[in-house]
Amino acid sequence: MGQFIQLFVDGLSNGSIYAVLALAIVLVNQATGMINFAQGGMAVLSAYATWWLTEHGLPLVVAILVSILLSFVLGGLIERFVMRRFERGDPDTAVVVTIGLLTLITGICGWLWTYNNKQFPSLFSLKTVDIFGAAVSVRSIGTFLVIVAIMLLLQALFLGTKLGLALRAVAINPQSAAFSGLPVGRLLMAGWGLAAALGAVAGALVAPQLTLTPGMMDSALVYALAAVILGGLSSPIGVVVAAWLIGVLENLAAVYVHFIGYDLKVAVPFILIFVVLIVRPQGLFGRKVVVRV
Amino acid sequence: MNRKKNLRLTGAVALISAVAVTLAGCGGRDDSSGGARGGSAGITDSTVTLGITTPLSGPTAGPGTCTVAGIKAYFGAANAKGGVKFGDGKTRKVEIKALDDAYDPQKAKSNYDQLKGKVFAMTAGLGTPTNRAYREAAISDEVPQVLVMTGDPIFSDKGESPMQLGFVPTYINEGEAFGKLLAASGKEHSVAVLSQNDDYGQGYVEGFKKGIEGASNVKIVKELTYEATDTSVDAQITQLAGTKADVMFNAMSITPLAIASLQKAQQLNWKPSWFLPSNTSSPKAILEPGKATAFPGVYSVSFAKAPQSPAFAGDEDVKTFLSDLKQYGDYSDVPAFPHCMWSYMTGATLDQVFQKMTKPTREDFMKELRTVSAFSAPLMLEGTSVDTTVDGQPAVSTVQVQKYNGTGYATVQSFG
Amino acid sequence: MSSITGFLSRAWVRWAITAVVAVALLVVPLLFSEYTNQNLARIGVFAVAVLGLNVVMGYTGQVSLGQIFFVGVGAYVTGYGATHDWNIVVVFLASVLVPGVIGLVVALAAARLGGLAIAMVTIALPIIGVPLAKRLSDFTGGSQGLSSAFSNAPDWTGLYNDQWQLYLVIVIGGATYLLTRNLVRGKYGRAFAIVKSNEAVAASMGISPYRYKVLAFTVASLIGGVSGFLYMAVIQFTSPETMTFSHSITLLASMVIGGAASIIGSLLGGAYYVLVPQWSNDINPNLTELLQGALLLLTLFLLPGGLVTLPREIARRLRRSRPDGGPERRQTPSAEPAPGREAVEETPTVGGIPTQRPTERQEQA
Repeated sequence: MGQFIQLFVDGLSNGSIYAVLALAIVLVNQATGMINFAQGGMAVLSAYATWWLTEHGLPLVVAILVSILLSFVLGGLIERFVMRRFERGDPDTAVVVTIGLLTLITGICGWLWTYNNKQFPSLFSLKTVDIFGAAVSVRSIGTFLVIVAIMLLLQALFLGTKLGLALRAVAINPQSAAFSGLPVGRLLMAGWGLAAALGAVAGALVAPQLTLTPGMMDSALVYALAAVILGGLSSPIGVVVAAWLIGVLENLAAVYVHFIGYDLKVAVPFILIFVVLIVRPQGLFGRKVVVRV
Repeated sequence: MNRKKNLRLTGAVALISAVAVTLAGCGGRDDSSGGARGGSAGITDSTVTLGITTPLSGPTAGPGTCTVAGIKAYFGAANAKGGVKFGDGKTRKVEIKALDDAYDPQKAKSNYDQLKGKVFAMTAGLGTPTNRAYREAAISDEVPQVLVMTGDPIFSDKGESPMQLGFVPTYINEGEAFGKLLAASGKEHSVAVLSQNDDYGQGYVEGFKKGIEGASNVKIVKELTYEATDTSVDAQITQLAGTKADVMFNAMSITPLAIASLQKAQQLNWKPSWFLPSNTSSPKAILEPGKATAFPGVYSVSFAKAPQSPAFAGDEDVKTFLSDLKQYGDYSDVPAFPHCMWSYMTGATLDQVFQKMTKPTREDFMKELRTVSAFSAPLMLEGTSVDTTVDGQPAVSTVQVQKYNGTGYATVQSFG
Repeated sequence: MSSITGFLSRAWVRWAITAVVAVALLVVPLLFSEYTNQNLARIGVFAVAVLGLNVVMGYTGQVSLGQIFFVGVGAYVTGYGATHDWNIVVVFLASVLVPGVIGLVVALAAARLGGLAIAMVTIALPIIGVPLAKRLSDFTGGSQGLSSAFSNAPDWTGLYNDQWQLYLVIVIGGATYLLTRNLVRGKYGRAFAIVKSNEAVAASMGISPYRYKVLAFTVASLIGGVSGFLYMAVIQFTSPETMTFSHSITLLASMVIGGAASIIGSLLGGAYYVLVPQWSNDINPNLTELLQGALLLLTLFLLPGGLVTLPREIARRLRRSRPDGGPERRQTPSAEPAPGREAVEETPTVGGIPTQRPTERQEQA
């Protein structure tokens, strides 16, 4: 039983890594209507910025805040000068552009900071506390709480604020959004900027565990995408719950389901997606999109 | 109709441009196997060119970059002193042509195809599948593929691989060394095993089992695996900690996972003696952030002096190596991966072979390659040496078991 | 321009061009250096893989991120069959049918889901494929991979290996291209296009989107299998790394860079897949990722419709430089443009082919 609880808690802390990246993907999707493969790469770049600032003597918290700000600006600039040209074109092309961005950003990180692993300072200590007989590190708890906070913030942003509504309106139908007087361009830039800023938080949260390398987020990205689809693209709470579910179930399946084991546990999120989507095509928490023909 | 015509035109133009593009830079049939008169490709009276295909981007780029930097450092320094004096009396500068394969076998083969007509020999490349991808082609083209960085035993089997030779000890050698040490401790041990799910992890575990064969005092209580792409091995550590084993055999080549394993075990208050392979035994990059001093002993195997270890801070070899690496290898950090040291030694070993070569041919090179013995390359630990004369063994097959002492490593003869 | 196209449309000219191309393809392997032949063969391998992807994505509009999985399965089946001395025809058929059947089964399930969900199910293929290939090590050789030199030139041909392999690619790949071309130009192709543009319309016309999606997906997997067979014939080695997810992403990028829903575009996509890593290596092997990313973005900036639109783009530029400006209109800037939102170019069309989907291009005016 002790082991079960420990595995459960371990799964939650794994899931948190997927969750924080998934939230950034949802944010960009809600604000611009597209899936951004470069989200992980941008988060890594932000993490390098943070790391660089701490190496130059800034305290970690200040470095993270500066990096969030820089990332917001960079995200906006990327939207304005790279993505804008492709937003109204073929959606496949736009996705491939984000793949190109991912490759470029990874390459830039490798060029500037080498492919060697960098130690990233952690916001939270590694000391453990005992919860129901399981050892949980303060870092896991801290990450968990930050994610819950971001999740609630995003949920409130999209459902409760004018900005959130405007962002969504632009994503769903830029034409009518423009007709109703919304500054479409600025809103798109803001959407990318916010997602990039969130990526900076994501980078700072996961880099201490994964150590900083240009490809740090690559494995997590697939899980994050799975969480996004599973939770429903439109729901921050949904994707976070889905990410945790994936983290926990993959651990339990690896240990208790013999034919899955540690090598095939990566199949768990996809089996889950499959089962859930057959029953609920809009995802666990997603809203049904009705398209008029 | 108009639409079709345009497609056709577009198609023709596109096809022609595609063909033209691929033709750029191609020569005739003859240049593929040619070379200097009387000698092999890639060697003239004043230069010899070596080819490397290794991951310089992607997840394995860290150690991959090292495989190029080390050998460039060695030969850069040698060239600065005038070059390498060959057995035929000529002094040649050694040039390195390195290409990125991103750990993709297909790209490795492509790089080999590109290099084979221009280089004298392929060397130092990192990776089992990438080296295997062109092994058979190298045999049929008679291009040497030597002192490569894989512990896959096939490269050191002369019957299977006449044009090949591995440099680093096979994974089996390394695992076995630790197994023997444990078997000889005279105490009862229960061992938990966590290994990478590929030939790397399997080789270590196989060697370890060979080392403890017949020893009744060592028992493996649980064996688990992980994937090199995993972001976490917390679940495995949790499961292994449940066995309360007093020894952890951790055949892991991924830096962040090695650190996380050490940290997680401490969080679970499980503190066994710990074994890490040579790849992931860096004191600065892994053991320090992993707080390895919490364990009764962290063991590793090695044949190279660790530059970060204070014990070697004043060592002449290490000092020369670090300055060469900076000046000629374009690598300014103190390396966290042992591959930098290994490929530096590869350079020194090739230097030995070059000195023995009386003819500038690949054939003579392969002959002399297998005659180096008891060569103590720079950076080698006492008790290890380069010996290429034993069939079935790579150039380096002896390793020293070492124990972490809080800052660096000390060679140990017995467990505990 | 029109006189050239008129000339090209004459039947005898078309036959002559076809004949010239056919003869060229037959002679090419004999003329070039070994390295060029090997490179052309590699391009052929991935051009076939991209072609398969184009069937399901370019023509039918279903995002597939799993194409490399079918290439990998095809390569493994080929390697297994060849090392067990199966008849070469059996090897070929198996290497095409096994991925095809897997593709069919996956499609039967996945095509029920909409857009992004299909993408996720297809992502799963390479992600699960890699550990699965390791687990089935009795068939796959595990992480050490599987090599087989079954495609070396038979003695009676008197050819070099690279020439023989290039002929294999030209014949098998060429046949695949012709068959696919006929498929997408015919009744099925039209059905694919309707499914892509609007599923509801398709259903109202009696075209079952589900069945056509399954069909497109299955065809893509079959073609993936062909590519896998050729992969093994040319590279003669495969390992779990062949199916890495990142390669699937690169295939997708190659398809778009070459030109979606275009036969020639697929060929250019294959060339892109093979040549760009080589070029970036030639420029600086330490900066390959940076260079590849930059080149991808640059290409799409200049040619959003892919390399296949290059001649059209050039023609457009030429016409634009003429004083009367050709058929294109200048856009009147709106009185109150959204800040930072420039007047977007109108959908460029030449000969009735829109390079972009005709969406709301001229909105915020």
